[in-house]
Amino acid sequence: MNQLSLIGRRLLQLIPVAFGVTLVAFLLIHLIPGNPARTVLGIHATPAKVAALDKEYGLDKSLPAQYLLFLNRLVHGNLGESLFYGVSARTLIIDRLPATLWLLVYATVIVIFMSVPLAMLAASKKNGVRDHAVRTIPLVGLGLPPFWVGIILVEVFALKIHLFPVDGYGSGVAGHLRYMFLPALTVAIGMAPVIIRSLRASMLDVLGADFVSTARSKGVPESRVFVRHVLRNAIIPTVTVLGINIGFLIGNTVIIEQVFALPGIGGLMIQSIFNRDFPVVQGVTIVFAILVVLVNLIVDLTYARLDPRVSLTR
Amino acid sequence: MPRSRWMSRPMVTAGAALFAVTLVAACGSSSSGSGGGSGGGGSASSAGKAVNGGNLIIARTADSQSMNNTNVFDNESIWIFENIFDTLYTVTPNGKSVQPDLATGYKVSNAKKTYTFTLRPGVKFSTGQPLTSADVKFSIDKARAAAQGWGYIDTAIKNVQAPSPNTVVVNLKYPWAPLLADLSLFSNGIVPDNYGGKTETAFYQAPVGTGPFKWGFWHKGQALKLVKNTNYWKPGLPHLDSVTWTDTPSDNTRELQLKGGQAQVDEFPAWSTVSSLKSTPGITMNLFPSTRTDYVLFNEKRAPFNDVHVRRAMSLAIDRQALVKAVLFGNGKPANSVFPPQVPYYQAATQGLQLNVSQAKAEMAKSSQPHGFSTTFLIPSGESDDSTIAQIIQSDVAPLGIKIKIQQLDQNTVNTDQQGLNYDMSLSYWTMDIPDPDELATFAVDPKSGAKSFYTDYDNPAVVSAVHAAEKTLSTTGRQALYNKVQTQSAADAFMAFLYYSPYAYAASSKLHGFYVTPLGNYHLENAWLSK
Repeated sequence: MNQLSLIGRRLLQLIPVAFGVTLVAFLLIHLIPGNPARTVLGIHATPAKVAALDKEYGLDKSLPAQYLLFLNRLVHGNLGESLFYGVSARTLIIDRLPATLWLLVYATVIVIFMSVPLAMLAASKKNGVRDHAVRTIPLVGLGLPPFWVGIILVEVFALKIHLFPVDGYGSGVAGHLRYMFLPALTVAIGMAPVIIRSLRASMLDVLGADFVSTARSKGVPESRVFVRHVLRNAIIPTVTVLGINIGFLIGNTVIIEQVFALPGIGGLMIQSIFNRDFPVVQGVTIVFAILVVLVNLIVDLTYARLDPRVSLTR
Repeated sequence: MPRSRWMSRPMVTAGAALFAVTLVAACGSSSSGSGGGSGGGGSASSAGKAVNGGNLIIARTADSQSMNNTNVFDNESIWIFENIFDTLYTVTPNGKSVQPDLATGYKVSNAKKTYTFTLRPGVKFSTGQPLTSADVKFSIDKARAAAQGWGYIDTAIKNVQAPSPNTVVVNLKYPWAPLLADLSLFSNGIVPDNYGGKTETAFYQAPVGTGPFKWGFWHKGQALKLVKNTNYWKPGLPHLDSVTWTDTPSDNTRELQLKGGQAQVDEFPAWSTVSSLKSTPGITMNLFPSTRTDYVLFNEKRAPFNDVHVRRAMSLAIDRQALVKAVLFGNGKPANSVFPPQVPYYQAATQGLQLNVSQAKAEMAKSSQPHGFSTTFLIPSGESDDSTIAQIIQSDVAPLGIKIKIQQLDQNTVNTDQQGLNYDMSLSYWTMDIPDPDELATFAVDPKSGAKSFYTDYDNPAVVSAVHAAEKTLSTTGRQALYNKVQTQSAADAFMAFLYYSPYAYAASSKLHGFYVTPLGNYHLENAWLSK
């Protein structure tokens, strides 16, 4: 019941969040000089043609009038029509959302499978060789720009040993797993160092706790102590760090989508900003906001699941 | 304490499982995915004999906008639907003339105001419906009516008639030299009468034409596919089963796709990579002659650019060879005329204003600003080539006492400022749409054309008069004389600084044959084929 109540409240919170996001996005995109008609008509468009197309798009109306029109459409589930393509903005976004979601989920899974074993390895012998190695080597990934890491991975795994395709999204689950591995790995290489360090530090804290000493004195096997007692308690703050990083990642998918030619909404956002395709920019912004809220909700639910002491009512 | 043994179990197992699943997927599903390949059912693999079949993948820089050929201006749309729609006449491979396409020939009246075209027999649309004169009349009429589109190109046409199924009559308001070139423009592409019973919007969602390919699908922002038109009127063509254009804005990614075999054409590789691509095994680096010309715009609405001596001085100070070397990595040549060499009536003898520092200083001494001035150079942000050009010119004109501040704004804003004449200096370029200089000449030097003389506000009545006289002069020698005057005088007036001519760069797989880009930038893929 607590969980359902939390979910309901969070979904209600989406309404003011979405409203605020649309208002800010609307104002920002209209603050930038330039307009969609010039994009559509090309660099040699005459002012008369631009003015005529402005009128057709409704861009000759006042900003408040345009915003009210947008809100009116939004409450009816209509994001408007793409000014560039002349098709529904909602259709464009829905078509491209799966690739972004695949990237986010796949990258998160790889991050978890990379980070947990390495953090445990490091924490198992503080200041030992493997601890220093685990703390140092992944940091390189944090310092490398994702577009460069992506290109190097493609050069090695796609062009040299032909294990994965150069880019693309693939079709079907097996196709997505294969095509999206290098992009997801690129994201994971940049995100894992933060998670590893966070989890290692938490584990070292927990390792000094009384209940760990008690478990050991009772003869509980070391592997069980680590997984059942240490990891479970140490992972709680790391979940928060992971959630925050996924939130940032949602806004940063565009780089990976560009490098790997993924048909996601990050690329759609950038393309639409350059085209001054206002309805699509606003639509993608709302989707990003919803994703961030949902990720935070999942983090809270996971938190409560891992630690029953955490109350969902507050 | 035995702390190392715990690593041997759950997490390692899970991690190994993830990688195992991925590797199985990697190895076991090589035929799946959107990338596709160049497979196909050819029967021969030698480069000399065309092979039928295969899917050609062209990795391009941006998506198309619309398939409506009458009102779309972006090349990424135009190059697609030119493979769907045919025209009465089409551009020759050298880009300087026209040749029959859906028409087999024409007769012109003595007054040069009535053209009677005979349609090619046996031509069908991809639906199997025969082509008739009613389709041609409908198509050209709707192109003429596209006020916000390309309608202006047909302004000389008074009306179009269809007296018999295989005859089309075009009546002109006045004799018009560029008529055949205008009719070769994609906006005059032939579609079925009344859109085959569909609405205009519905028709352009899946357009129908007589060209070598017909509509496949369009996943916006991802890929657009055309498939072979089995009703195409050229026997045995096209060779390819299909062509897919994938949207890949990143230069690096397009190159990797080409090297990895996921694409057979890399549209516009970065100039810095052209040299290495030339020596990459399995890749053919094509540099097709083009009509692209890059210019510096001087806004004559603003002082001191209303002073011809200032403009001449700056134009004379620009080291065009250095620009070609730094921007194009040597793959181009300095421009001497407002027209590029691939345009009919280009005057090679027009010297233009080339680098001459002493002459530049002499011009400055005669100008209203003999000791120099400060100005702003407006360029698009994020365009490294434009940034390089601006920096070189900034350095070139410094000895004249001219201090340039480079202002970088996004492309859309730059366009807005140029069109509003809200700038001092800026950059622009032109590529031809028709094999006749009329469109460029009118746009570039006629302040009443709607484009304010390429957004420079340049106004030389003698030049404008020559441009309009050339439109109505039907003799080749007469038009050459008029366009020589246009080129010579506009160069002397330095209303723009002509920078350089550059080719169209397309890197392609060595397995691709028959791929050719005309100087106008368009390519017809009926002759393209893929060897195994």
